[in-house]
Amino acid sequence: MTFFHFFNCAALTFGPHAIYYKATPLSEYDTLGTCIKAAIVYLVTTLVKLICQATFLQVSEHDDFDLGQELLKGLIGFLDVGGLYYALTQVSHRSISQDHKFQAVGLGWAFADALLHRLAPLWVGAKGLEFTWEHLLQGLESNANLVLTVSLAALGSLMWLRKNKPSALVPVIYTTAGVVAAMPSITNYLRKGLAWEFSNVVSFELLASLVMSFITWRLFCACQRPAQ
Amino acid sequence: MKGGRRQRAIGQAVVALMTVLMSMVVADAAAVVDVYRMIQYDLKGNPMGSRRAALNHHTVSGFDVQGADLSRAVVILPALKVNISSLDEFVQNKGLLGGLLLLLPQRSDETGGAEGDDSDEKVAKALAELEQWLVHNTFQYPVYFAYEDENLLKLLHEVAASDAAGRPASATNGGYKLVVSAPEAKKLTTPTITNIQGWLPGLRAEGDSLMLPTIAIVASYDTFGAAPALASGSDSNGSGVAMLLELARLFSRLYANPNTRGRYNLLFGLTSGSPYNYNGTSNWLRNFDQRLRESMEYALCLNSLGSSSDRMLLHVSKPPENAFIQQIFSEIESVAKDSDLTVELKHKKINISNSRVAWEHEQFSRQRITAVTLSHLEEPPELLQRTGGIADIRRSVNETVVLRNIKVVAESLARHIYGQQGKQVELFAAGSNLALNPSYVRSWLNLLGRTSRVAPFLGKNAPIINALHKELSQHTKDASLQHETLDSTFLFYDSTKAQLNVYQVASVTFDFIVALAVGSYLMLLFIVLFISTKGVKDFVGIFRKAPSRKYKST
Repeated sequence: MTFFHFFNCAALTFGPHAIYYKATPLSEYDTLGTCIKAAIVYLVTTLVKLICQATFLQVSEHDDFDLGQELLKGLIGFLDVGGLYYALTQVSHRSISQDHKFQAVGLGWAFADALLHRLAPLWVGAKGLEFTWEHLLQGLESNANLVLTVSLAALGSLMWLRKNKPSALVPVIYTTAGVVAAMPSITNYLRKGLAWEFSNVVSFELLASLVMSFITWRLFCACQRPAQ
Repeated sequence: MKGGRRQRAIGQAVVALMTVLMSMVVADAAAVVDVYRMIQYDLKGNPMGSRRAALNHHTVSGFDVQGADLSRAVVILPALKVNISSLDEFVQNKGLLGGLLLLLPQRSDETGGAEGDDSDEKVAKALAELEQWLVHNTFQYPVYFAYEDENLLKLLHEVAASDAAGRPASATNGGYKLVVSAPEAKKLTTPTITNIQGWLPGLRAEGDSLMLPTIAIVASYDTFGAAPALASGSDSNGSGVAMLLELARLFSRLYANPNTRGRYNLLFGLTSGSPYNYNGTSNWLRNFDQRLRESMEYALCLNSLGSSSDRMLLHVSKPPENAFIQQIFSEIESVAKDSDLTVELKHKKINISNSRVAWEHEQFSRQRITAVTLSHLEEPPELLQRTGGIADIRRSVNETVVLRNIKVVAESLARHIYGQQGKQVELFAAGSNLALNPSYVRSWLNLLGRTSRVAPFLGKNAPIINALHKELSQHTKDASLQHETLDSTFLFYDSTKAQLNVYQVASVTFDFIVALAVGSYLMLLFIVLFISTKGVKDFVGIFRKAPSRKYKST
């Protein structure tokens, strides 16, 4: 019966990505290539991040929240933004519209992230007889992550790909992008520094992702109008 | 075309990889506990003990839980709270059980106190009764023992709570599952019993061609219990072995110097196979050569001399009026008087047609060698009774009593050897260089009390056998091992220790509910994304059938 649990959790973790691809026009415009390229860029970025973390961070014995270490981790996390920049601007994509480009990049990025971070724990943990809520919560977390990544990709495309933006909105765009990029550090702080329960952290992530995506959507629509 | 074939090849490779990965299972239990399996043996072809080893069932806290299917459940019972008569009824009615886990009280390695602890005695008595009942019954399901620790007690508490609330653990309810993955037990093909002997030769006068008389001091060192991994009998017969080793040490000091060497040979024997009608002793005696047998004056068998008691019994099979028996008895009694110890003579006739051998000296008597058994036990033990099982713990042995008994035996033996009967001499006085060594006795009692010594499971090279051999070779001139095969009346099966995994499993209904929730969430997500990006019309269009081709052709 535990394979059953594994399939449940896997469906919750990876299903949304597949559904996003199928349900939106992404599948019609055959943007699979873009997704795969974005996934590869994610892999390279993660490798670079790990090397930086190994070089600059100290391994602490206890699970305390050390502000200095966390700031450094956050800084290294901003490499993610650099990776997204590279994926959005430098990698050559087949001619697809701006709208779809950022969605495809965000989807590929989030899928690679979910695969790398959650497949192995799911495989090892959910198949055992012992039951914990952890894997279902991780599935929800990966959903939130998908939304956040797509929002970040949208903001990124706004920042780097769109030439004419209403100047009033530019600082808003940058702040929102900063907040979204810092989400991993914020969740880390909540989990370790404030010692929140995992379920509380996941609900915060879901809420934050919804709020951020809403703000991004409004910004995106607001920037659409002048580009007639 | 090519792309299609390549895709199929990749697909097949992925499927193969998935199948391989899926077969790897990683255990991830809430708790892992050491458990000890009940003994499985055949007595004259009759299967006895627990006949299964592998366990994989939900837990239940008792026999009368509402709605529990006992044949697919493991019952956890604290060993001291077992109601033997109701359990016996259940077993006699051939009740089926998934498994039985008995929890033993925490063991402590403390030595026995000077005053017998009342609760300790009650515990020992209850455990001994349970053990006796278990050993003489057959169980078609696995029976395991475990020591109570906080994990297990918490588990029992939670299981009892959910049972009381009418929700016993099962596949539909979820709950705790106990898993022991052990292979089925195999027969032990050549169970070896090993006798260890040491020879201390006496002083031969010049020109004396006759062999000196020999006195044998014998103690059996092996045990038998309901759980072979836990049968480390301290009183039966760890006390006897410790006494024998101390006597060997004392007399080896006396015999080291030719001026103090007695005119008797001393033969020390540590025999095995005692629970099985002293099988090892009879083999050992049969291997004696004729000269040794004729020179044997008598044998002193030591059995269970550690528990607090003011009486020592001298069990004999020769009629008590026999002059030689009377001599031995009076020697011991006169020494014992000084130590406030009462010695009594008890006679039990041997019935040659009955294969049951209750005392070790009976094996000597069957070979026409005079022998006695010294013991605190009053009644001859029944088959597989008082064989040093789980109930016989280190705490039940009182060191002071053991030392006192050693002194009594040593002094009376010395008076016999050196011809000082009736005289008030004290050879092994405290403070002299022949004084008894309490720490020596204590360390051997401790070692024996934590080593399980069920003979068929020891094999030829067990560390305890080598340790005893080495010790005897230090005190005697000639120490040797003798390996024999246990007679075929008893057949044993292996698999005595295992690891128990405790899992907390969710019920099947839970998995179904989650599947339903995830499925509906994904469908909702699909609908929302489809409608928001492609419009409602396209969405509805999925459901409308494509226009039939029939109309096109007309």
